[in-house]
Amino acid sequence: MKALVTCKRVLDPYIKARINADGSAVNLDNVKMAMNPFDEIAVEEALRLKEAGSVTEVVAVSIGGPKSEETLRQALAMGADRAILVESDQDIEPLAVAKVLKAVCDEEQPGLVLMGKQAIDGDSNQAGQMLAGMLNWAQGTFISEIKIDGETANVTREIDGGLEKLSLKLPAVVTADLRLNEPRYASLPNIMKAKKKPLDKKPLADMGIDTAKRIEIVGLSEPAERQAGVMVDSVAALVEKLKTEAKVI
Amino acid sequence: MTSAIQQLLANLPPAIQVTDPDVLATYLTDFRHKYTGCTAAVLKPRTTDEVVNIVRACNAHNVPLVPQGGNTGYCAGATPDDSGDQIVISLERLNQIRHFDPDNRSITVEAGMVLSDIQDHCENHGLLCPLALGSQQSCQIGGNISTNAGGVNVVRYGMSREMVLGLEVVLADGSVLDTLSPLRKDNTGYAVDQLFIGAEGSLGIITAATLKLQSLPKQRFTGFLAVASRQCLPKLLSDIQAETGDLVSSFEYMAADAIQHLLNKKPEHRLPVSSGHRHYVLIELGTSASKLPLTDLAEAALAEQIEANIVLDAAVASNEAQRAAFWAIRESIPEGEVLNGASVKHDVAVSVSNLPSFIDQAAGIVTSTGPGCRLSIYGHVGDGNVHFNVLCPEGSNEIDHTWIEVNLSPHIYELAAKMHGTFSAEHGIGQVKLALNAQYGNAKKQALMRDIKRALDPNNLMNPGKMLPLG
Repeated sequence: MKALVTCKRVLDPYIKARINADGSAVNLDNVKMAMNPFDEIAVEEALRLKEAGSVTEVVAVSIGGPKSEETLRQALAMGADRAILVESDQDIEPLAVAKVLKAVCDEEQPGLVLMGKQAIDGDSNQAGQMLAGMLNWAQGTFISEIKIDGETANVTREIDGGLEKLSLKLPAVVTADLRLNEPRYASLPNIMKAKKKPLDKKPLADMGIDTAKRIEIVGLSEPAERQAGVMVDSVAALVEKLKTEAKVI
Repeated sequence: MTSAIQQLLANLPPAIQVTDPDVLATYLTDFRHKYTGCTAAVLKPRTTDEVVNIVRACNAHNVPLVPQGGNTGYCAGATPDDSGDQIVISLERLNQIRHFDPDNRSITVEAGMVLSDIQDHCENHGLLCPLALGSQQSCQIGGNISTNAGGVNVVRYGMSREMVLGLEVVLADGSVLDTLSPLRKDNTGYAVDQLFIGAEGSLGIITAATLKLQSLPKQRFTGFLAVASRQCLPKLLSDIQAETGDLVSSFEYMAADAIQHLLNKKPEHRLPVSSGHRHYVLIELGTSASKLPLTDLAEAALAEQIEANIVLDAAVASNEAQRAAFWAIRESIPEGEVLNGASVKHDVAVSVSNLPSFIDQAAGIVTSTGPGCRLSIYGHVGDGNVHFNVLCPEGSNEIDHTWIEVNLSPHIYELAAKMHGTFSAEHGIGQVKLALNAQYGNAKKQALMRDIKRALDPNNLMNPGKMLPLG
């Protein structure tokens, strides 16, 4: 069975996001970018399924500009077999992402699509669900465990207040949550090998998919800055401030 | 409380005095919990003028002063003695940025500013304050300069001394030396402010400093390497420096044992490369040039070393979370020692070329003389500085830290001296290493130091008994 994994290039989540002066977008010039951490977990799980013998080939796919090749090379260095870059110079919306992935699935015929539950930039949490709908495949979202048993994928979902266990008929789309695994480090020998692994590029424009924007971002703003704390000299002063300023007692 | 101290405190504003014994306690024990002193009060001046007033009052009442920053030193240089006759002066409230000059690439800060706050301020303005060390979240710049702190970036940017453009110092007589110069060139006499760097407060109290800043790296490459042998470390670093155009900012050696002590107690740390190797290195390169293909350069340089079987395995941090995890291992090694019963530390430096041979011979001494003693060896290869730390044998009653200090440490220091090395590379003298200084230090240098001390602090009020022995 072939597994398809998605790898979106996003702002490194350890870097403080800064908004452009005009408030239109997050500044991505000269800042450190990384693979979406939930996608990294999805790649790791695909590799573990391959190592367990449940999957025979792992194909990484990304939609983005030329730099997204680095993100795919990282997936290849972790152990993916080959990669597909759908070249797009614009950041497309979840519906368009799902349409593009549907086209890739139609061509590749994977038995399993593994995705991050969401990308940490848009936080949309939509593409996986829409893709499963378009393909009319089973879906398991927010998974913290997956085991393949013949034609079935047994998954554990992390839901509010507990865990839900589902049996999915393959082919299926599953989206990875944080506790599914801890991704491996890319070793330098594997990074060097990954430079020679096949990476196909397809221009999005040639795929005949309507990716027109349907959502307009009206504006972005920073969270309100926390006020600096003050040191008080005594318990009495603290109580006084809690009464008169914070008004909590 | 002696009457001298009573009179001193009566002459100073109550707002800068702390006498609550619970609060005092945190200022009286050194970072390694080996020395506990005694004081009637901790003084917390808010301005240089208040420091001046304190020093004048101390002169008037003949009360010695112990300056203290973040209290993170390894040699108890900021801990008062147990007589109760000394007063601690904490610089923590002198914590403002006085001037930031991005075009001159300099910043003037007060002594009590926490190092990481300075780093953050510079970073938010696109510049780098290159001093970086394990305790940067709590150490203060005044203490860093007074101890000439080193840390993990010395291979690229040098020690604290090399970052200081000028100082403001309150001298022993209460006068103020102001050399807060933004100048990089100023050949107008003796480099007197250099005297106060690394002086551990024995000549005066640093109240502010102008620091030299660097370009902020826009790209970093962080790798965790398994290396074939210790012998190959100097050449490995030198080769990578040459191949990458001197972009290495850290090259941290860790012997397998040092990491293993940590992993045994803290399994949440994950070794980034395959286990079973004996030598590991954390390497970091950085550049402010966003268009330079740093990753390609570094990968190519390391690939050659893999080809040559010098590097046996290597992991590359692909994001900041992985980079933080690599560094967490290096920075948690001291914690690993503490969790295994703590260590006797030997902060030795020899020439980079002699480093592998020093470690091998010193390890030989420990193995043959201290049966069962465990080693925790790590250090900054580019500076020839190794932390050669010895832990007691597991569950041993016979061999304790004192045993190691008596039976092993002298041989280790003897070996360092024989190889023209030093017994204190970056930790200083404080009170911990006074005897070592007498034994292994340069006698002529110490005679000159005593002359300087007498000239600048004739009443011996500035941190007496640290750096130089009393009397």
